[in-house]
Amino acid sequence: MCDLFALSAKKDYSAPEFLPIFAVRAKKNMDGWGIGFFRKQHALVEKSAEQIFHSGQLHDSFQRLARVVKSRIIICHLRFRTSGLVDECHAHPFVLKFGGHDWLFAHNGKAPAIESYKSSGIAIKDAISDSARAFEYLRDCMEDHHRHDEKPEKLFNTLADSISQMIDQYPGDYNFLLSNGHLLFAFTNHRQFMFMKGSEKLKGAFLLTTLARGLTKEKWLRVAKATNRRGLLLAISGNDVILHQSI
Amino acid sequence: MCDILAISAGYNYTPKDYLPIFAEKSSENMNGWGIGFFREDKALVEKSAEQVFSDQQVHESFQRLARVIDSRIIISHINCPKSGGHHSAQLHPFNLTFLDHDWLFAQVGVVENINAYQTRETPRLEVDVYTARIFEYLRDQLVLLHHKNPYISVYIALRIAIQELLDDYPGKYTFFLANESFLFAFCNFRQLMILKVSESMGDILLVTSVKEGLSRTDWHPITPDPQSLGELLVIAGPDVLYAGDV
Repeated sequence: MCDLFALSAKKDYSAPEFLPIFAVRAKKNMDGWGIGFFRKQHALVEKSAEQIFHSGQLHDSFQRLARVVKSRIIICHLRFRTSGLVDECHAHPFVLKFGGHDWLFAHNGKAPAIESYKSSGIAIKDAISDSARAFEYLRDCMEDHHRHDEKPEKLFNTLADSISQMIDQYPGDYNFLLSNGHLLFAFTNHRQFMFMKGSEKLKGAFLLTTLARGLTKEKWLRVAKATNRRGLLLAISGNDVILHQSI
Repeated sequence: MCDILAISAGYNYTPKDYLPIFAEKSSENMNGWGIGFFREDKALVEKSAEQVFSDQQVHESFQRLARVIDSRIIISHINCPKSGGHHSAQLHPFNLTFLDHDWLFAQVGVVENINAYQTRETPRLEVDVYTARIFEYLRDQLVLLHHKNPYISVYIALRIAIQELLDDYPGKYTFFLANESFLFAFCNFRQLMILKVSESMGDILLVTSVKEGLSRTDWHPITPDPQSLGELLVIAGPDVLYAGDV
């Protein structure tokens, strides 16, 4: 199963300590890696199909990027292939532009049903996987809501409705991070998220990961969907969870 | 009645057009003005007890500030004679630091008795205006709720804080509360007008108490449901993230 990492902060932040810790703790995921971040509202992604950890060493480029990438929101994905090929096109995060934003999306889960989804919009180039189709589905659904919803549109509700619709039409295990540069959304219906804020080491940042023990010895908070609900959606801005709601 | 304006963007925005329009539209409120904004994560406030509009001109400093401020979130307040505050220190927005953020607060409304409120936290806002007491009350509640549950979501915490406020000090409230990342707007009596505008650098969101909005475009009214205690919105970048009854 892939693993996810996200950092959200009040101002541009780099994660030279935490990205390598995440990579080492999630090194069983050998099918590629990617780091997504924002510069002047534009989403940028550096990714590779190579192993994150080889011959006892963390991938050289990953280490360098961890030192250099600086952004209010950073998303990292370590891939364990369950759908699609092992190549750079299939490494996450993916980028799509819609609703006036660049969006980053990274997914960890298994939803074979959605592989058959055909978007009427721009497809993610050369990616044939459940994750790419799930992102396109959410984009299409959110754009549709945007056209028809009463104004002002409420982004949290739009995304929550789109996720519900996706799970209805294409049931599966979804666990993803989605960001437009000033908001980070995290959704899960099958695995936990661990998160941490307020640590002195973090200096005003918020960290989130799918790794069950978190990334440090401090106490991380575990959140997961309630057994009688379909999923859990969090909205994070700066170093705060603004909303978390069961779907 | 005073007026308030908030601007939220996904990038550092310079309000050179909308702040002067706001000043003109609120020109009946002649008792001073304030502009709050953020540099990195620090809140800064510029205010003046002078008239924002005089001899058909927007106040010179107000105009200059509108041209040079650049911030993701900007809050402005134009003061009416009824609200007290004839010294610049008494004007909004107010600034307090708590829960790891600098926060800005600006309010229009009518609230009885809250002047007697004594904060349990520090710092205290050393001005004798009731809006300062409202801000302290909300700060105290948010800090208390956070101590009880450090991972409480901010929207839920503020909703509870407002419920407590309305219970202890019933009144007419319309306010903005913002940190460097997101902005809350609450109203229980005056409607707020909201508009998303495309600018060259990207979209921005405008929210104001000016009843007709700031332009001829179709502004969307946010009207509190009379059956509820009020409407609370949270805005991040140019988007309304969530809006709900309190």
